[in-house]
Amino acid sequence: MQATAAATSFRGFWRKLQRNRMGLVGLVMLVTAVLVALFAGAIAPYDPKDPVPITIDDIYAAPGGEHLLGKDDAGKDVLSNFIYGSRVSLTVGFFASFISIFIGGVIGIVSGFYGGRVENLLMRFTDIMLVIPDLPLAVVLVALTRPRLSNIIFVIGILGWTGTARLVRSQTLAVKQRKFVLRARAVGAGNWHIIRKHIFPLVLPLIVVNTVLVISLAILNESTLSFLGLADPTAVSWGQMLNYAFTRGATSAGAWWALVMPGFGIVWVVLGCTLLGHGLEQVLNPRLESHHLSAAAPITAARTERLARRDLARGPVLLDVRDLSVDFEVPEGLPVHAVENVSFTLREGEVLGLVGESGCGKTTLMLSLMRLLPAAGRILQGEVNYLGKDLLSLSEQEIADMRWKEIAMVFQGAMNALNPVHTVGDQIAEAIVRHQGARSKAELEERISELLDLVGIGPERKDQYPHQYSGGMRQRAMIAMALSCLPKVLIADEPTTALDVMIQAQILELMSKLREQLGLAIIFVTHDLGVVAEMCDSVLVMYGGVTAEYASVDTIYNVPKHPYTQELLKAFPDLSRPSEKLVAIPGYPPRLDVPPPGCRFAPRCPLVFERCNLEQPRVHRLNGDHLASCHLVEPK
Amino acid sequence: MGKRLGWATVTVVFVITLNFFIFRVLPGDPARAGLRDPRLTREAIEAIRVRFGLDKPVINCFESLNPVKFGDCAVNPLQTQFFIYVGNLARGELGVSYHLNRPVQTILVQRLWNTVLLIGAGQILSVLIGIIVGVIAAWKARTSIDYIALVGSLLAWSLPTFWLGIILLFWGSRELGLPIGGKITPGMSFASAKELWWDVGRHMLLPTLTYTIVFLGEYMLIMRSTLLDVLSEDYILTAKAKGLSTFQILKDHALRNAMLPMVTIIALNLGFTVAGAIQIETVFSWPGLGGAIFEAVGRRDYPMLQGAFLLLAVSVILANLIADLLYSYLDPRVQAE
Repeated sequence: MQATAAATSFRGFWRKLQRNRMGLVGLVMLVTAVLVALFAGAIAPYDPKDPVPITIDDIYAAPGGEHLLGKDDAGKDVLSNFIYGSRVSLTVGFFASFISIFIGGVIGIVSGFYGGRVENLLMRFTDIMLVIPDLPLAVVLVALTRPRLSNIIFVIGILGWTGTARLVRSQTLAVKQRKFVLRARAVGAGNWHIIRKHIFPLVLPLIVVNTVLVISLAILNESTLSFLGLADPTAVSWGQMLNYAFTRGATSAGAWWALVMPGFGIVWVVLGCTLLGHGLEQVLNPRLESHHLSAAAPITAARTERLARRDLARGPVLLDVRDLSVDFEVPEGLPVHAVENVSFTLREGEVLGLVGESGCGKTTLMLSLMRLLPAAGRILQGEVNYLGKDLLSLSEQEIADMRWKEIAMVFQGAMNALNPVHTVGDQIAEAIVRHQGARSKAELEERISELLDLVGIGPERKDQYPHQYSGGMRQRAMIAMALSCLPKVLIADEPTTALDVMIQAQILELMSKLREQLGLAIIFVTHDLGVVAEMCDSVLVMYGGVTAEYASVDTIYNVPKHPYTQELLKAFPDLSRPSEKLVAIPGYPPRLDVPPPGCRFAPRCPLVFERCNLEQPRVHRLNGDHLASCHLVEPK
Repeated sequence: MGKRLGWATVTVVFVITLNFFIFRVLPGDPARAGLRDPRLTREAIEAIRVRFGLDKPVINCFESLNPVKFGDCAVNPLQTQFFIYVGNLARGELGVSYHLNRPVQTILVQRLWNTVLLIGAGQILSVLIGIIVGVIAAWKARTSIDYIALVGSLLAWSLPTFWLGIILLFWGSRELGLPIGGKITPGMSFASAKELWWDVGRHMLLPTLTYTIVFLGEYMLIMRSTLLDVLSEDYILTAKAKGLSTFQILKDHALRNAMLPMVTIIALNLGFTVAGAIQIETVFSWPGLGGAIFEAVGRRDYPMLQGAFLLLAVSVILANLIADLLYSYLDPRVQAE
């Protein structure tokens, strides 16, 4: 059973490695080197051990004729020496790294597994050994003993384990906390059994990657020792060939062939190890190498047919989003339709609640308004009109000028949204300087104090770093920062999740106050229907990337039309009707790479009927501003 | 702070002890073997015997360690070779070079500065260029620029330092007419300090270039990888939402955070730095500490070898300590602890 599992995981691993160009090239390079070493006798044209009578002309004879790569200082064939030299270099590399990996592995597993005083002692010793420069120590040790091959292997081996020990220890620490290890311990398995059966197999892949690196270091160290004259004269390695050539006048004789070839061999093996190690690393710990500064995908938004503009008596429209669709491209997979045909408007002073379960496209929608999507996100269609300007057609520079000054955003989980190495005051100042130009220092300081005061943080704390703030304070500091350039729109993406109830209330109160004082329009992204009822004027309910329902807050709470909205409200406690039972919605939101063919809510909908599974409902206008996408509300 | 200083001290004590016992335990017992060196006069031998207490037991209970000979345990510990060695060290005495017949410490101190000059120049260049290339590669991740930089760095990392030095020396001395080694042209007199430094600069060019290429790759790889992590952090998104330009974000928000692991790596690398110095100084006959180690090995000049190793190891430990302190300056979270 275990053997087959290991075999399949190995096959999967091998398939991934085959697709990794660097890793494969490295493997091929290493295999060739090993083959050359194994079959040196058959490949090499001459045996370096055969005595040959030489004349003066044979010394550093140039390449040509029978001697493809010329001759060395003793009139021997360089190519043959080179081929035989691979044996010595690889032998030292493999055996020395075996010693290093063994010592490092044992120290790492023992200290990670047993912890406490054992770990402390072993790791302190490792740290000390890590600081002591290993090559000079190796030089001293080899110089004091006889430079025999076995001594050299031993010295390189016992000096090269520190890196392995540290890596293996941290991996062991991680593995130790896994469920099956805790379970094995709970049923009384012995330490040795747990290490052998549970820890070692999981640490092994890391050891394999690390071995490749340790081999390359051992080969480099061996060649360096040989070059410095600390080599076994009976086993001539590539390093020693270089030592002979360099100390015996190859440079002044212009005999480049005697200098280039041995080095080429070392580089070939070490580069092979490095490429293979890099490839293995990428296969074992794959990571997405795109980030917030990766070039954004080009916007392919096509303008959509204009619906009749809704007429509301209240303030002027700030933000008018129409039919916005966003896809995420997935390497070797179907694109994820994160947002599809979503429209809404936001007026001056309005608070819009954006509601839906996790993963239904709320954050994606908000990021696309400011064009902050990650590189894989692509805006497919729609318009984002801000005071009559289409934000999607602006240049990078123009949109950067709009950000924060017109639309600012408080991100989900402000724990990491503040940079840990700058003071809070400096991070606020940066935004002000960017959009309102450099003012006098005193004025800037005063403005920062004002802003912090506004969110209830003492101005004396502006010179503190984010880690000196509590979670709630950090969130409030983010809000202060968002307000620093007096934006007209504030997007608050779950600003109160992960905060305790008291702080939540404080932040909500603060936002209501700011809205009244500054006439700010707010988009409030949340799961919390209570907060929505309390703060919002209108509500957009999203489900699986599409609009479920969009209406004023009273309509949503009193006459919800979409079954999803109705279910959400049932899952939320209503103080006026305490006797009613809370009902959770069974099932999970749909996968957006393979959405259901009909209505996205159909699989979980209590009112589902045949048509729902076949046809996706359009967004229907009920009366005035009430939008819902459900076949049940289709006007006759 | 105090803790770091404490551990640096423990490490130094460990190195001093190790340095004594290696030379006493391993075959040959060089301290005694040296006395049989025919180049020494009878008076010199007697002076050395007294100065280093070679007639005394190694430590309590041990007459000698190679071969192991047990002895009197009740000796005054201050009258053992180990304590005489420690005492001499405290007075800054490292012994007398067999080859040059001069105190090791005076030779090494001169040479230390040459090594610092060479390593300093190479380190500054390789860190700077490595960071710049790493930043560009991370910023342009998964483009052909990134790919070329990555393969180039892996190749640079794989080059044996001494071999690159030999190749550059071969090429530089033949094609560019650069000097083949040393620090200044022998026998030349200089009219001004400017001329002197011009000459030293010409000698330094190739060694520094070798050094830079060899260490560049690793710094680039580390920078690229940490920067990729940093650029995926939420605070970078915040900075972008604030309307900052890509350059500003890289400079003010990404680089300083990415520098934190860099400082650790640079410090850990100092050991390899020394390895690089030994090879480069050997190839280019640069009169530094690394070259001293090479010469001492060739001449079996054990006091010199022992002294040079000790000085190198202690320098690396001190440099590590400085890097640690620098780290807490860069990261406000560490200061708070």
